[in-house]
Amino acid sequence: MLRPLSLPPILSSYAKTALPLRHFTLTSFVSSKQLPPRLKINDADLTVSYLKGSGPGGQKINKTNSAVQLIHKPTGLVVKSQATRSRSQNEKIARELLADRIEELQKGDQSRVAIKADRARKQKASASKKTRRKYRELEQNREQEAESGKAEDKHHSTEHKEQQPEQVQ
Amino acid sequence: MAKVTPGGRLQQNKLLRSMCRARSRGVPLQYIIGDQPFGDLQILCRRNVLIPRAETESFTVHASKLILKRLDEHPEVTNPQPLRILDLCSGTGAIALLLHALLANKIKQMTILGIDISSTAVTLASKNLEHNLHHGFLLDRARTEVHFRQGNVLSNHDSNFPHVDKVLHEFPGFCNQSGLGCDVLISNPPYIAPNSFWDGTTGRSVRIYEPKLALVPSLETDANMEEHIRQEDVFYHDIFQSAMRLGAKLIVFECGSYAQACRVVGICEDIAGACARREELAFHIVSSSGLEPGTHISGSGPCAIIIERSMASEA
Repeated sequence: MLRPLSLPPILSSYAKTALPLRHFTLTSFVSSKQLPPRLKINDADLTVSYLKGSGPGGQKINKTNSAVQLIHKPTGLVVKSQATRSRSQNEKIARELLADRIEELQKGDQSRVAIKADRARKQKASASKKTRRKYRELEQNREQEAESGKAEDKHHSTEHKEQQPEQVQ
Repeated sequence: MAKVTPGGRLQQNKLLRSMCRARSRGVPLQYIIGDQPFGDLQILCRRNVLIPRAETESFTVHASKLILKRLDEHPEVTNPQPLRILDLCSGTGAIALLLHALLANKIKQMTILGIDISSTAVTLASKNLEHNLHHGFLLDRARTEVHFRQGNVLSNHDSNFPHVDKVLHEFPGFCNQSGLGCDVLISNPPYIAPNSFWDGTTGRSVRIYEPKLALVPSLETDANMEEHIRQEDVFYHDIFQSAMRLGAKLIVFECGSYAQACRVVGICEDIAGACARREELAFHIVSSSGLEPGTHISGSGPCAIIIERSMASEA
């Protein structure tokens, strides 16, 4: 109870989407290329168990035993979630995680998770490309100014130029 | 987020400190922060009303699946009239409200009535109805389809509170030409034995801060005196008698352990046998740590008893 609760980023982002508190969003952000739908898991393939310590429960105890564990029988994958205080929300989160895992196993690069990660990587790459371009242009501008303005100080400005990229990074 | 003034921050820190102090004394988290998630609902929790448990959440979800399965298999049975659900010892109203949330999309008309002896609980349950309507967790229909009333579930003729039957007379849904009736009866009554309340198996925080009225059945009942039924089982005896009288088609009880569940099934079989209706009923016990059929039932965790009336006997 007293230990700080830190969630892996993937879980906490799931937790946020699963919470019923956010019942409206202003942006209906639909990317141009929509992600493929999540894999549907057959209920018959699942073993759902609610983890808790041994001993009595129910009215006798009021511990937050909301952790949910899912076992996918055909693949043997095990997924556990205790991201929220609610059992049913944890089950939802665990189902999503499990669906992603199974898909990853089946489809590899073509899976939803892989596509998502790939897209994020590309976005990051293009963003860093943009910053690099921006600073290169800034650099060129400064170079031109230096060349046209202070011809005598040439030696100093080249020294300055060499240092600049390190500061940017 | 609003900008926090230095004074506001001081106030916040003070509040946080007092909450931590309360928690360190063992005050249940739900009483401190004021709510508990229950399915997709947010149930407000106040002193003197039992906090809904995770096991109860699972049993409620399971019950809703059973109800839908029955309707799927026999659509003609309840379609003409609204589905009538009775939740006895409703407390915060969590079960009644979650059932509405889970069933409303599939069932066009319902009447759900929660009955509890505590006026604090009935007030809180009505507040929970409003709260969840306000946040959009429940459909607007719930306002007219879910009700909470004060009443006595036991048949000990306590004249301070009206008996369930009397409360039901108020509701046209539960009361028609052929008398009182309901389709589904669900209950999580007090089920802790007086000795296990004190012997350490009941959590200290539960013992000190949660209402004993909702945990340990009180002594003076007829069943307790005349039929040698254990004190922790008296609610099941009286509620099952009501269920028989009302002709419930599905009955769901939560109880404390597998051993208690077996005892209660025995009690119910005796009562059903006495009205020559034992053959109509099918009894199942499911454990909360895995509701799949065939899972091993652990000895100490809470269990649910599912009693179903066979379809043939309804025709």
